[in-house]
Amino acid sequence: MIESLSYPLGFVIPLLVAAGVTIKVSVGAFVLAILLGLVLASIRFFVPSPIVRIPIAIYVEIFRNVPSLTHLFIIFFGLAYMGVRLGSISAAVIGLGLIGAAMLADVFRAGFEAIHVGQREAGLAVGMSPRMVFRHIILPQTWRVTLPPIGNYAVQVIKDTSLVAAIAAPEIMFTARNLVVNTFETTLVYGIAAGLYLLICIPLSRAIRRLEQHMAIPR
Amino acid sequence: MIDFFRTLFEHVPLWAPRLIPATGVTILITASSFALALVLALILELFRSLKIRVIDRLIGGYVEVIRALPILAVLYLIYFGLPGVGILLSPFAAATIGLGVVYSTYLAEVLRAGVDALHRGQREAALAVGMTPMALFRLIILPQAVRVMLPPLLVSLVSLLKDSSICALIAVSELTLIGRVMMSQYFLPLHVFVLIGALYFSIAWPMSLFVRWLEPRLNRGRRMAAAGEP
Repeated sequence: MIESLSYPLGFVIPLLVAAGVTIKVSVGAFVLAILLGLVLASIRFFVPSPIVRIPIAIYVEIFRNVPSLTHLFIIFFGLAYMGVRLGSISAAVIGLGLIGAAMLADVFRAGFEAIHVGQREAGLAVGMSPRMVFRHIILPQTWRVTLPPIGNYAVQVIKDTSLVAAIAAPEIMFTARNLVVNTFETTLVYGIAAGLYLLICIPLSRAIRRLEQHMAIPR
Repeated sequence: MIDFFRTLFEHVPLWAPRLIPATGVTILITASSFALALVLALILELFRSLKIRVIDRLIGGYVEVIRALPILAVLYLIYFGLPGVGILLSPFAAATIGLGVVYSTYLAEVLRAGVDALHRGQREAALAVGMTPMALFRLIILPQAVRVMLPPLLVSLVSLLKDSSICALIAVSELTLIGRVMMSQYFLPLHVFVLIGALYFSIAWPMSLFVRWLEPRLNRGRRMAAAGEP
């Protein structure tokens, strides 16, 4: 069917469809990473017990010091071997989300630590509960501190979805590869694929930079 | 669980002769692309230090484009795309160039931060007290620049090691590719990739710990100096 379409259109349309999958996987992984990262960092913040901290630290270290591809292979092929069959797209979202969460857990921790301890003490002194201090004083300020690394991560996760081509999720790079196998137009197809990433990532990173300037804490 | 480790340890002697050279390739590709990235970053920063508007614009555009591309796309363009215009590269060369080009944009930023951290007055002061430019560089600039640049350079090296796994997709026979081959040969994907993950971890984690140990030590003098200021 692809071959019957006229020459450049036959490449662009499947790649645009694939770009939709790329965005879907990115958004899924991003949301999972933010939520899980925030939960992990909050647990570390509230619970000083080593029984809770050590497993989180192990999780963060393993996910930050092993390549993403290895994690994706373990989640996709390894779990299937154990009898847990995930679709390639759900494996991609879970894999990238878990990797991102490990990174963002550290980002959020640094964000919490950046808020002066006096603010926490002042909040407790005026009779706020620790939860209220966290929700009304620490968290709102954390967003401003952590926005630049979160913004970088948002662009990074889009680029990292290219790796899930290796577990056959039909995103841009996987589709490009299939098109090349069928047509042998390597330079053109990979050129269009790269162009699509530029079209997604450059406006996004510019918008994030604007937002950062807008949200920056005035000195 | 016990079964898992028994099978794993049964296979380790069988797999080791292939995994050890593959680890070597991973380290080699990391080292060569890091070296290339450093050289390219240095060239970028030298051109930027000329402060010529057109060149700044060009470099800015280059950095923005490279940063917006996934490493896999860069590697595919170099390995599969360049033959279309008559340039044929070996997988290893393509991987080195691809990773080197991508990481040059990150390392350039690290170098710039290192140079920016130095106050211009120091250079003038050193020259004024009669230091030769060589002594100025060795005794004044280098020690301070290393202090600023070393931790982020090592962090980049760890990321580069992890990203070298992507080269498996352009047929560089490093750890991840050998893992994929072994996976389809033995039908033990979990065992193979847990072992491979452990190999990567055993290289990357000590480096990460070293950075964490090093960073406060490098900053010690500086923080005291800052605290001494009114």
